[in-house]
Amino acid sequence: MADIASPTRGVTCAATLERREEASPGVFILEFRLDGGPPVAQPVPGQFYQFNCGGGREHMLPRPLSVHGVTRWDDEVAVLKFLVESVGWGTERLCSLEDGDEVGLLGPLGRGFSLAEDGKALLVAGGMGIAPLFFLASEMDRGDKEYDLLAGFRSAGQFYRPLSGLKGGVDVYTDDGSLGNRGMVSGGADGRLEGVVYNAVYTCGPQAMMTVVAGISEEAGVPCQVSLASRMGCGIGACRSCVIEGRGAENLCVCSDGPVFESYKVAWTGAGDIE
Amino acid sequence: MELAVEVAGVKLANPVILASGTAGYGIELSSLVDLSRVGALVLKSVTLEPRKGNPEPRVWETAAGMLNSIGLENVGVQALIADIIPALEGLGTPVFASIAGDTVRSYARLAARIQGAGGVDALEVNVSCPNVEKGGIQFGVDPGATSAIVMSVKENCDLPVFVKLTAAVADISRIAVAAQKAGADGLTLINTIPGLAIDPATRTPRLGGVIGGLSGPAIKPVALKAIWECYEATGLPIIGGGGICDTGDVLEFLIAGASAVSVGTALFRDPGRVLDIIDELPGAIERAGARSAGELTGTLTETSR
Ligand SMILES: Cc1cc2nc3c(=O)[nH]c(=O)nc-3n(C[C@H](O)[C@H](O)[C@H](O)COP(=O)(O)OP(=O)(O)OC[C@H]3O[C@@H](n4cnc5c(N)ncnc54)[C@H](O)[C@@H]3O)c2cc1C
Ligand SMILES: Cc1cc2nc3c(=O)[nH]c(=O)nc-3n(C[C@H](O)[C@H](O)[C@H](O)COP(=O)(O)O)c2cc1C
Ligand code: FES
Repeated sequence: MADIASPTRGVTCAATLERREEASPGVFILEFRLDGGPPVAQPVPGQFYQFNCGGGREHMLPRPLSVHGVTRWDDEVAVLKFLVESVGWGTERLCSLEDGDEVGLLGPLGRGFSLAEDGKALLVAGGMGIAPLFFLASEMDRGDKEYDLLAGFRSAGQFYRPLSGLKGGVDVYTDDGSLGNRGMVSGGADGRLEGVVYNAVYTCGPQAMMTVVAGISEEAGVPCQVSLASRMGCGIGACRSCVIEGRGAENLCVCSDGPVFESYKVAWTGAGDIE
Repeated sequence: MELAVEVAGVKLANPVILASGTAGYGIELSSLVDLSRVGALVLKSVTLEPRKGNPEPRVWETAAGMLNSIGLENVGVQALIADIIPALEGLGTPVFASIAGDTVRSYARLAARIQGAGGVDALEVNVSCPNVEKGGIQFGVDPGATSAIVMSVKENCDLPVFVKLTAAVADISRIAVAAQKAGADGLTLINTIPGLAIDPATRTPRLGGVIGGLSGPAIKPVALKAIWECYEATGLPIIGGGGICDTGDVLEFLIAGASAVSVGTALFRDPGRVLDIIDELPGAIERAGARSAGELTGTLTETSR
């Protein structure tokens, strides 16, 4: 397998909100046009941007958000899509922006998923983990790659409707069984890996879920890439805020060594989650 | 407009410096910020051996600031000398190395190693890190220990030595005077202030290292007071910082007694902020009725208006 997509050097720019759509209660699709046209690097699935949400001196840290899609990227215009759950000051502020409002962006940052050459992949998303994995699935559709996607939600109300438009097989899990299968998406992954032959697993979601998915993938002998989250400062590898433990007790820097890691590199003791 | 300043013999093209620990080893930031334009770069503090630092989470946002408990994760002095300092050659701006030890002897050895390797313009002696079990702030609250460290560092190197102090003491000027008597060439004020954040739902600390260091605008008034008192007590050149976000802040720090200023936490939300500050500084100094940055240093008049 190719190396995990190497990090690009992010740039800072202003971005203008072009479109906002409530995907489910409290979760918004936000499309931003990068002012001044496209910077050098086009983001790949798994990469993220640091959002300067404003807030003057009151809120000093930027908010990291995974890229959810590239709406447009040509010589003149770059428009990026994010899927944001309103959970606190920063995300609430982003989710209540009006068309034409500006934010500051730094990115694309980190290493994204790297795709295996051929064969079928299993994508496992829990909660907001769907943000980068939907982007990954869309890219796989474009490249005519085969995959199945398992997506877990709290209940039917949280279902992400654009999933129905993907070419791959989509299977939904809800905690309360109000839509699709009842139960944990990681349980679904277990069953799948016993039956179907997958050549890779890509996962993002709550830490507990990723820990299980990484474990069963390793047992099944299928390489697994995980997109981790942790509390960040700089987002560029300078401050060492985001570090988690690697399997050899070494430090892994989520913002610049990750956020996507091969699962065997992670110690799975205190790795953060995206929920 | 004269922006250039000289601090303890180190010539800076402008007084705006990148604070230790917030700009890594410079390399990480170099594609985002033209480092040749900043007044100086202070590298992340290094120890004799590499350190892994504290468990995560290591940062927590607080009102007008943040707590960090990085725990001095660093590559160690050997890697600093072998890999980092050579990579910074030709940067076009002065580089300060920062050292942190857990014994007086370790500071002396760090100073000697860096002096021997060359390639840096000054040394910052961190006796104020709140995130390590041994050393760090324990030295910085004790005039005797601070003095012993500074003396041993001075004996082992001829670089200009800036001592970075904590404001978490009853009387910082006592520590500053002790550092001065021991031979310090300058002071860096202030390091983060120890703090605690709690998750009430679980009754657990927000940070893996339990205690963290507070930085950002929340600590600015504390920093200004520390600088003013140390300037009055020692007259040493001071690199002042704590919550600086714009040129208005810079002016306050200069007036309190700083000769140069450092920007740290503000880089996280916008790394380019430091260059904006430098660009806007001449206008701000002029509006303050001064002809140079240096002219403002230590000009606080003690009658409120
Ligand atoms: C690499 C990465 C990618 C992410 N992608 C997405 C995404 O696509 N969609 C989405 O909705 N969310 C995503 N998150 C989580 C998102 O960053 C947080 O929900 C957000 O920062 C919360 O900020 P707030 O001001 O709303 O909440 P507050 O609770 O007020 O945040 C306070 C501080 O905590 C940090 N923080 C809070 N929650 C988290 C968390 N879960 N993970 C990391 N830091 C956190 C914030 O950045 C901020 O510094 C991602 C996180 C990371 C690290
Ligand atoms: C994440 C982080 C790491 C830091 N690491 C160091 C360090 O290694 N050595 C040091 O002397 N100061 C360190 N500091 C303190 C800063 O250099 C600075 O003194 C302090 O943050 C106050 O300035 P600010 O409010 O502009 O950030 C660190 C600060 C932060 C936020
Ligand atoms: S957030 Fe600063 S090193 Fe990762």
